[in-house]
Amino acid sequence: MAAKEAEQTEIEVENEELQEDIAPGDCGSAMLIASDSFDSLVGNDYETELAIKKKKSHINEIVRQGSFEQEDSCGEQADVNHIGPYGDATTPSASEESSGEQSDPSMTKELSAVLDEISKSPDHDDDDVKTPEWKAQSKHVFILSDSGKPVYSRYGNEDKLVTVFGVMQALVSFVQDSAHDSIRSLVAGEHRIIFLHHENIILVCVTRGSESDRLIRIQLNYLYNQILSVLTLSTLKKIFKQRRNYDLRRQLSGSEKFLDSLLTMMEREPGLLLSAVRCLPLECQTRDMIAQSIVQHAKVKDLVFALIIANSQLVTLVRMKKYFLHPMDLHIIINLINAAESFKAAESWTPICLPKFDSSGFLQAHISYLDEACQTCLLLLTVDRDSFFTLSGCKTKITERLIKYNGLKAISDSLRKDSYNISKCGISDLRHFLYKNKSTAQYTSPELEAPYLSPGEQERLFGLYHYLHNRIHSSARPLKILYHVGQYEALLGWVTQGFELYAVFSPLVTKSLAINAVNKLMAWIRKEASRLFILESVTF
Amino acid sequence: MKQTAEMSRAQITLQNFFIFNPTYGPREGEEHKKIMFYYPKTEDIDTKIKKVGLCEALVTFACTFTDKPCEALHTQKTRQVFLQPEKDFWFIMTVSVPYTEKTRDGQTVVEYHDEDVQDTVLEALLRQAYRMYTLFNGSIYALLEKLEGNVESLQSRFDHFFSRYLQTLRPASSDILDVFCGISFLPLDKNTYLRVQCFINTLEATFPTVKYTAFLYNDQLVWSGLEQDDMRIMYKYLTTSLFPSYLEQELQASGTSPPSLLDEQNLGKIPRVYVNTEVENEECLLLVYRALSASVCMLINTASSPVTFELCKNMDSFLGPQLSVIASEIGEQYSSKRPSSEPVFKYIYFNHMNLAQKTTIHADHKKTSGVFVSQETLKLLSDISSDLQRNNQDGETFVRTLNDCWVVGKKSDQREMVVVINQKNLNLIEVNDEVKKLCGMSFNSIFFQD
Repeated sequence: MAAKEAEQTEIEVENEELQEDIAPGDCGSAMLIASDSFDSLVGNDYETELAIKKKKSHINEIVRQGSFEQEDSCGEQADVNHIGPYGDATTPSASEESSGEQSDPSMTKELSAVLDEISKSPDHDDDDVKTPEWKAQSKHVFILSDSGKPVYSRYGNEDKLVTVFGVMQALVSFVQDSAHDSIRSLVAGEHRIIFLHHENIILVCVTRGSESDRLIRIQLNYLYNQILSVLTLSTLKKIFKQRRNYDLRRQLSGSEKFLDSLLTMMEREPGLLLSAVRCLPLECQTRDMIAQSIVQHAKVKDLVFALIIANSQLVTLVRMKKYFLHPMDLHIIINLINAAESFKAAESWTPICLPKFDSSGFLQAHISYLDEACQTCLLLLTVDRDSFFTLSGCKTKITERLIKYNGLKAISDSLRKDSYNISKCGISDLRHFLYKNKSTAQYTSPELEAPYLSPGEQERLFGLYHYLHNRIHSSARPLKILYHVGQYEALLGWVTQGFELYAVFSPLVTKSLAINAVNKLMAWIRKEASRLFILESVTF
Repeated sequence: MKQTAEMSRAQITLQNFFIFNPTYGPREGEEHKKIMFYYPKTEDIDTKIKKVGLCEALVTFACTFTDKPCEALHTQKTRQVFLQPEKDFWFIMTVSVPYTEKTRDGQTVVEYHDEDVQDTVLEALLRQAYRMYTLFNGSIYALLEKLEGNVESLQSRFDHFFSRYLQTLRPASSDILDVFCGISFLPLDKNTYLRVQCFINTLEATFPTVKYTAFLYNDQLVWSGLEQDDMRIMYKYLTTSLFPSYLEQELQASGTSPPSLLDEQNLGKIPRVYVNTEVENEECLLLVYRALSASVCMLINTASSPVTFELCKNMDSFLGPQLSVIASEIGEQYSSKRPSSEPVFKYIYFNHMNLAQKTTIHADHKKTSGVFVSQETLKLLSDISSDLQRNNQDGETFVRTLNDCWVVGKKSDQREMVVVINQKNLNLIEVNDEVKKLCGMSFNSIFFQD
């Protein structure tokens, strides 16, 4: 009897510890770039990286490899006088309309002038935009050129917000010129106004939300990358070198919706917070078969990446040896197919720049849906601009094989089950969680269930994750464990070398129950890892 | 890792401190009239005008999105906090963000440590500066009225006060205690406490000109007749400024000590303070009488009979014998309770209702003899506390740092406690038990949510 009791307590003592062993979901070779450094997501690293490391253009590298036989290597200008993506054919050129333009007056604007402008704004034409509803929006985003020309506003017509844009530009340049400093953020009551200044572009976010300044900066950088994905960094630089006060909207017309949808995606998709990608749960043989279908039927020269995405989740990714995809680029791709309905109508051929992969040039993307319901999207990314018909042929063969071996059915079955719900894990007291495997940059998370069904509650849940993530990843005072008991739930954030886990419990859970639940959860993830994650990195 | 590549980290330093009123000098070319006070004085007028202009622009810009006033501006190199304590008067304080220089690929890269500077702490310092000013000058508008709108006199009052006050400002060693800005109370047994109260009643009855009284023993408050907010700033003044300079005088009988009232010449030097306990901006003279370690602070309304040498002598003969007896009685209790060197539990307790504060993390309130935890842990304490404060709910937070140090924050019904547990290899459950033990030992009458 006594022995049995002793045994029991021993077990309990064991369970009190968080069991930290290998991170479930680890695999030998990753296909995504696992970056843990937030600076790389936030920073103005493009210029410095290029300057310091003399980073080579991946695209040129691939093109050169292929063009030894052919003489007409044109990779280097691939990005310049190119037809813009998304069907926009305008090309910036120095001659265009340059006659009437002078140096932008806003560049030399004194701060006092700006003050005058704001103070007289009651009778200004912004009035129809700056309504109480406009003011009450919980998250504004403004993008402008560094000469103060509006590029994008999430709410309200940019043309009617010229004063707001003018003031933002003036603040940025005033702090820069007068103190050789840079403005980062302003706090006023519940509002925070966050500035991100890239070489030619200023991005400003005004928020009442729970995101940390650092996360907002990552989000603004996503938006910047979205712009680059349409233009390339080289083109952007070239445009502003030729004319500082160029109206960038001419180049971006039609792509506002991508910025809008990216902002919506940020509110719902934890992957952007975690810098990780969610995979569609599939049996590993099925996933293997799908990948092999691509490898077999898309062995085409110059094809860099081939991937299948279903409902914003990654099904498979096949890559050229040596090249990896950054989660940020993958999110840009997911956003592209989410926002553009037109891809559903027909096979498409569109240029896209993946800024983390190579910000200097375009890849050419063959985009098509493999099923009638338009859920399963195949993307073939190449550096060869003339391979549409070859890739279209590949697509047909891949589809045939996927139908033959029930690959598409497996995908749609998994989609129908809507990922998985928390009851699958069989752990009481656990309400929701996010688990990220660091080395593969993949994460998994169950469906949102009660009490997190209403938009308000979802926002609150995300707020809790933001809080956990921000405190744990503080650059000055990072943490290993954060356990918080609040009025509505208990939270655990736990970060090790290999993984990050954020779990939400009912508020009355005891600490030992919570730890027990987490250990069970880790065991469950370990058991399910081959289904939840892509463990095999497939190359052509 | 990090340490090897890092050079020494520069400290947070005060860059500027200014007060402006945008309604003075609204016309172009008159911008300098807006400036009520500016530190450092050596700054050229153009820079002053520019800095004030930027603040104005930010305040107006923020209005586009919110009706709440600006609180803080973060730039890469600086942190600026804003306070508008009275209509149109803005107090601004800027500190530098600490940085390190690193060598990367042969190039020197400056890295700024934004998270080393905490808005809550700076905002508390700025609020404290304003409150300290009003303790000695009354509110700005009350003074302006008295000065019949003479802005220049107001400027010289600001100058007189702040140029000395700022010398004592130490943003680098400010921490969560400045955010709480609480009062350390001395717990006494019932009899002694009643004796103190009885003594104060007799004092106030014998000398009716004494309007408010506070009784302190060393740096701890025993009894106060002042309203909480007045006592909070008065306590700050007594414990960080008056008492230390008095002790200095005792030690070396030199220069800048408070004037003794047993010298008739010093009567004119009695400090004037302004309190809001009964009416706003009530002007009083502050007399402090000290015997052994006990101090009695007496506030005498300036409108009643003046403080004469006669009165001081009478007070001395009344207070002297009685206070010494009480002081030695408390001394006996106090010495038996005095904690020995480094505490077993390192914690800070603060009660938002009565401002009671207790710390075993700081060697003393003045923070002169240092703290028992690292600067990083100290900053983590304010992070955790401000998170709990922001949610405005009861709750608790346990965190484990990279060095395996545990920090626990608890908030329950306006009471807050942060604990540092530096034992390695403890798990969450064990830490929870430790905290329970502490609560049982030190706060057994206070309920903390489990």
